[in-house]
Amino acid sequence: MEQSIDWVLVKEVISCFFILAGVVFMLIASIGLLRFPDFYIRMSAITKGSTLGLGLILLGMAIYFNQPGVLLKVLAIIGFTSITAPVAAHVIGRTAVQNRIPFWEKTDLEEFRAYLVKAHLEQHISHDKYLEEKAKKEKEMGDAAGDTV
Amino acid sequence: MKLLLLHIMLAAAVVYTYFQFPGARVPYTALSTTLLFAAVFLLFWLGSYFYRRSYFRKVPKLAYFIAFFLKELLVANLKIAYDIITPNYRLQPTVFALPLKASTDLEITLLANLIGLTPGTISLDVSDDRSTLYVHTLYLRHGDVEQLKLHIKNGFERRILELTA
Amino acid sequence: MSIFQITLIIAMVMLSICLLLTAIRFAIGPTLPDRVTAFDLFVANVIGIIVIYTELTHNEDFIDVAMILSLFGFLGSISFAFYIMRITK
Repeated sequence: MEQSIDWVLVKEVISCFFILAGVVFMLIASIGLLRFPDFYIRMSAITKGSTLGLGLILLGMAIYFNQPGVLLKVLAIIGFTSITAPVAAHVIGRTAVQNRIPFWEKTDLEEFRAYLVKAHLEQHISHDKYLEEKAKKEKEMGDAAGDTV
Repeated sequence: MKLLLLHIMLAAAVVYTYFQFPGARVPYTALSTTLLFAAVFLLFWLGSYFYRRSYFRKVPKLAYFIAFFLKELLVANLKIAYDIITPNYRLQPTVFALPLKASTDLEITLLANLIGLTPGTISLDVSDDRSTLYVHTLYLRHGDVEQLKLHIKNGFERRILELTA
Repeated sequence: MSIFQITLIIAMVMLSICLLLTAIRFAIGPTLPDRVTAFDLFVANVIGIIVIYTELTHNEDFIDVAMILSLFGFLGSISFAFYIMRITK
């Protein structure tokens, strides 16, 4: 009776399940990239969603091919992505903090304030680039208005 | 650490040479190769009981840690997915300073990488004296920062310190 | 055409929608780091498409392309980040 099981079909079904799960995670990550309000939230939601989605898709492929060489390459790709994704996220996030990319207004920055003050004291006062530019512009407008009056 | 790498490479070499012989009974597929690799690695691990007791105790801890991490990854990913699909946000983004007990380069790198790989948290920067790690998080546990800090310290940092000690 | 191939094609279409959404964020992203993040996700999506194409055509040689791309995407985002840090300091 065991001979009647169609192993190719079983492999295909498991592989399809993995691939669809991975693709759904990728799609959710892309929607999150569009929906979330602030750069840091977007980044933390996305980098991992895409890593997990990619891992699931690759595992699905390894199950389908069922060859040791393919499995080795797939494990190599999963290892590369899962090592490099957090490093890239850390570097980009650190750059963003030093470039004064604004946080969402509901973000609780209580313990981070000291770091921000220390990092930006020598060059700027506010950690929000756009707020500062707006204030400068308003000040110029005010000066211009004062000159005309 | 070095012994673990050595054992993995030795097990891979044994499996490879086994399949080079024409009389191999096992079919050459991914599943059988993985199982054979696991069996050979298990033999090496059991053998280490006689010459390196600390390594013998660490390998199960590593396995537990990987399982715990995968569970954490999946749960947090589903949480974020739920938040993206439903129209309202339940986000409480916070940046907090995590006091570090880990001191060497390897430990801090591992901790920052694992924090970065768990959805919802990113490590933003390490302070100059390496005593605090600044972490940006999306969700708080039970609405409290201290709970989350405790979770990271007990879940990740303690296990990393145990493994690298 | 079996159900398996139809499922793969559906997955590919969904990944293409992902590419479109990412491209929108790349275009409207208010800051440069936003665009770098979008680029990261873009590379991941392309790797996914290559993988599904590999499975659809039964040609294993494309996996090497995915491997190289996963390394180059990382290099790309890191060099972008350092470039941003350099021009503002």
